[in-house]
Amino acid sequence: MNNMQTQSANQSQKLMVFVLTMALYGLATLFTELIPSFQVGLVEFSVEYFLFIPLTLGMLFDPMSAALGAATGELVFSEIMLGQFGGLGELEKFITVTIGVYIAGRLVRDPRNVKMVGIAAFSGVVIQQLLGTIVDILKVQFAVSDFEAVEGLPESVFFTEGFACLNDVLFSGILFCLLPTLFLVPKLYGKIEPLLGMQPRTDKTWLGNIGWNVILGSVVAYAAAIGAEMLAESGMSLVDWEADWAGSSSALAVGMVVAAVVAVVVVLVMRTRSHKDAAVQGV
Amino acid sequence: MRVAEKLSENILDKFSMDFLRNQVLKNAYGNNDTVIAAMDPRLLLVWYLFFGLVPWFVNDVPFLLGCFVLVAVTTKLARVAGLVLFLFVLGVFSQTGYLLLVTLLFGGDASAIQPLLVLTLKVATVSLASVTIFSGLDPDRLANGLMWYGCPERLSFSISYAYRMLPLLMEEFQNVLLSYRLRGNPPAHDTLVGKVRYLVYQIKIIIHAFYPLMLNTAKRSRTTVEVLEIKGYRYAAVNKDVKKIKLSCLKVGNDDLLFLSLSFLWVAITVLVSTLL
Repeated sequence: MNNMQTQSANQSQKLMVFVLTMALYGLATLFTELIPSFQVGLVEFSVEYFLFIPLTLGMLFDPMSAALGAATGELVFSEIMLGQFGGLGELEKFITVTIGVYIAGRLVRDPRNVKMVGIAAFSGVVIQQLLGTIVDILKVQFAVSDFEAVEGLPESVFFTEGFACLNDVLFSGILFCLLPTLFLVPKLYGKIEPLLGMQPRTDKTWLGNIGWNVILGSVVAYAAAIGAEMLAESGMSLVDWEADWAGSSSALAVGMVVAAVVAVVVVLVMRTRSHKDAAVQGV
Repeated sequence: MRVAEKLSENILDKFSMDFLRNQVLKNAYGNNDTVIAAMDPRLLLVWYLFFGLVPWFVNDVPFLLGCFVLVAVTTKLARVAGLVLFLFVLGVFSQTGYLLLVTLLFGGDASAIQPLLVLTLKVATVSLASVTIFSGLDPDRLANGLMWYGCPERLSFSISYAYRMLPLLMEEFQNVLLSYRLRGNPPAHDTLVGKVRYLVYQIKIIIHAFYPLMLNTAKRSRTTVEVLEIKGYRYAAVNKDVKKIKLSCLKVGNDDLLFLSLSFLWVAITVLVSTLL
C-alpha cells in the first residue's frame, strides 16, 4: 500500500494512535490518581509518573497524535471520570504534557538507536518538568508581589520549587521514564507498527528536524498555559484583597436584598410555569 | 482487640486492586438512576459554572455555608462512590489543614482559624460541585452536554470512549498483571532491604505488564477506528446535521427547571439571611 510509506500517513491512523495513547495513559494516570503519594521531608515519593507510555508511543508513531492523546487521556480518565476536574488549572498540565511528549517524539530519528531514545526521553521529562516549575514560580512571584517585606521568601520559593523539579527529574524521570522507555521502545519497534497498519519509523520516514515553527508553536501554547494558570489563580488572590471591604458596604447589602427579592419572584414564576407545562403534557 | 483487627483488615481491603477497580466502576456506572443523572447536562453545566466560580469571590460565611449545604445535598443525591469522597476529604484537608499547621507553627494564634475556615468552605463547595457534576452525571450525557456548548468533538468522543472501554481495560490490565505475578518469583520481604527489593520488583512487573498491554490495546484501537470509519465518523464529526440529530435527545424537562429554581431559591434565601445578619 502506498500510504504505508510515510510515518504520519493518514487521518485514521492518527486517530488510532490518539485512541491508543489516550486509553493507556489514561488508565495509568487513573491509578496514580487513586494512590496517595507520601512525603519524606522535602522529597516526595509518588508513582505519579507513567509518562513513559506516551513517550514510547510518541517515538514509535506520529508524535502529535500521541502527545494530544496522552494529555486528553489524563484529562478524561483521571479528572473527569473520577470527578476531580480542577477547572482552568488543568490546562497547564495539558499543554506541558503535550509539548514534552511531542518534542521527545520528534527528536528520535531511529528508534533502534538506544542513545537517541534515552536522550529524547530524558529531555521530554526535563522539558515537561521545567515548564511546570516555571509556572509554579511565576505563580508565587505574582501572588506575593504585594508583600515583598517577607524576607527570604523568593529564595525559599526558588529553592523548594527547584528542588521539587530536580527531585522529579532525577527520581521519577530516571526510574519511571528513562528506564522503561529504554526497555519498551526497542522491544516494541517493528512489532506494534504493523498492528496499526504502518511501517516502522526509519531514517527515511521520520518527520525531520525540529524546525522553528515547532518551537514557536510550543512557546505560544506555553504562554497560553501560563495565562490560564494565572487566571485560575487570580480567583484566589482576588479573595485576599476583597476581604478588606466585604461586610462594611451597605450598598452591597441593599443590592443583595433586591437580588434576593427578584430571585424569589423569578423562581415562583418558573415554578408555576413548569407546573402548567406538566399539566399540558399530561393531557 | 477484635475491633482493631477488623479495622486493620478493613483498611488493607481498601487498597487492593479490586477495590480500586470496583470503586471506579461504581463511580462511572453505578449511579445512572439518581436524580442528578437524569438531569439535563446543559443546565447542570451552567449550575456547575455558578457553584464552581462564585464561592471563590464571596467571603460571606452564611452564604458560603448555604452553598456548601446545597452542594452537599446534591452530592448525596448523586450517590458518589466512597473512594471519591475520601479523596475529596483528603484533598481539602491537605490544602487547608496543612496551612493551619504552618500558621500555628509560625506563631499564629486562634484568630487564624476563621479565615482558614472560610477558605475550607470555599474549597469544599467548589470541589463538591465538581464531584456532583462529573461523577454524578452519566459520562455519555456529559459528553453530549459539552458538545452542545461547542467543545471539540474529539473531547466528547474521548469521554464516551473512556466510559465504555474503562472496565475492559482495567480487567485486562489486572489479568496481565496477575499472570506476570503468577509466573514471577517475588523476593522475600522480611527485612528492609528485602522490602525495597520487593517494591522494585513490583514496579518492574507493572512496567513489564505494559508491553503486552500496549500490543493488545494497539489492536483494539485499530478495530475501534476501523469501525468508526465504516460509520463515517470523521465526516460525521464535523457535519452540522449529524450533530443536530445526535443532540436531539437533550431535552429540558420540568425537573430540570425545578432543580434550577430550587437552587436559585436556596441561594436567594442564603443571601437574604446573610444581609439580615
